[in-house]
Amino acid sequence: MSDSSTSQFYNFENEMKDGAVDLLQAVESGNFANAVKIVQDLSESRHKSFYNEVGHLTRSLHDAIRDFQMSTVDQIVSKDDDASKITDATDRLNYVIEMTSHAANVTMDMIDSSVPVAGQLQSQARELRKDWERLIQRDLSPEEFRSLYKRMDIFLKDTDESATVLHSNLNSILLEQGYQDLTGQVITKVTELIRDVEDKLVHLVAVAGRIDSISGIEHQKKQTDVDSDDRGHGPAINSESPEVLNSQDEVDDLLSSLGF
Amino acid sequence: MDKNMKILIVDDFSTMRRIIKNLLRDLGFTNTVEADDGTTALPILQAGSIDFLVTDWNMPGMTGIELLRVVRADEKLKSIPILMVTAEAKRDQIIAAAQAGVNGYVVKPFTAVALKEKIEKIFERIDAGN
Repeated sequence: MSDSSTSQFYNFENEMKDGAVDLLQAVESGNFANAVKIVQDLSESRHKSFYNEVGHLTRSLHDAIRDFQMSTVDQIVSKDDDASKITDATDRLNYVIEMTSHAANVTMDMIDSSVPVAGQLQSQARELRKDWERLIQRDLSPEEFRSLYKRMDIFLKDTDESATVLHSNLNSILLEQGYQDLTGQVITKVTELIRDVEDKLVHLVAVAGRIDSISGIEHQKKQTDVDSDDRGHGPAINSESPEVLNSQDEVDDLLSSLGF
Repeated sequence: MDKNMKILIVDDFSTMRRIIKNLLRDLGFTNTVEADDGTTALPILQAGSIDFLVTDWNMPGMTGIELLRVVRADEKLKSIPILMVTAEAKRDQIIAAAQAGVNGYVVKPFTAVALKEKIEKIFERIDAGN
């Protein structure tokens, strides 16, 4: 792509050089009709090379977006009833948020239902252990022994059932982690699209730069937006920066240096 | 430290609110309310009866740092202890939060132990001050 467009621009530059020589000759020899025609040809050629390039980029962008929509992720995602509507990157990323949120909630549901089961087992076992100690020390009355005998039976049955519940909850938690695979694939696709679009935009900027240099347009430099701490940055991805603290300990150290 | 104190949890992600709520419950704090950013948190705070505020930083609408400043500037609210639980970990931000009057700062991802320690420390200081 860049080869053909670059050559177009070299062509245009060459045409302009040739045109300038012809134009000078035409003006000097008084052939103004020819001079006007040369100017027109140059102008046309300038437009043509620019529009060719824009057309090329538009096509490439269109292709990239279409490829993205028809990608295999759609097939994976369309297992879900409503997910076939997911056709663009924003929806895909929203889908990632939904998937991760769903997984987190299911996992927490399972934990919420497991905690009381574990708590129940713990308190039952503690109670039994007290009496069991007394049994070992031969400190139980026959009546207490009969009660312990029954409670032990109940406890063993409960333990079996509780372990089955916990086992099934743990399995659900395990299965729920499958979101990582699916969201990973979606994010990889979106990343590819962004990289692709970036490449093409960089190319467009390079083309625009050449147009500017050819047409003599100058731009005022815009001030870059000030990076606002107040709005927040989200999690620090690049933790190499000395400005970013990497652990709670570092945060605590900084705060204590401030008198906290 | 009163285990029945009313705690407002402010975070835009319901998952994170739930995690914090569960951790607080494990620590014995069961009286919690939730809001999803500073804008929805303020009316709850102004209605009174909130004893402790746990807030994220990065939220749509009003951010946590803005909420912190608004609370500290409000005569009725300014003494509410505030714990920030956030992924924001830039040195300047932590300094800004300290200057705005935060009582504790926990960076995500965090542990149950870290949350517990910070809460205990905040109330130890408050009890010592009284």
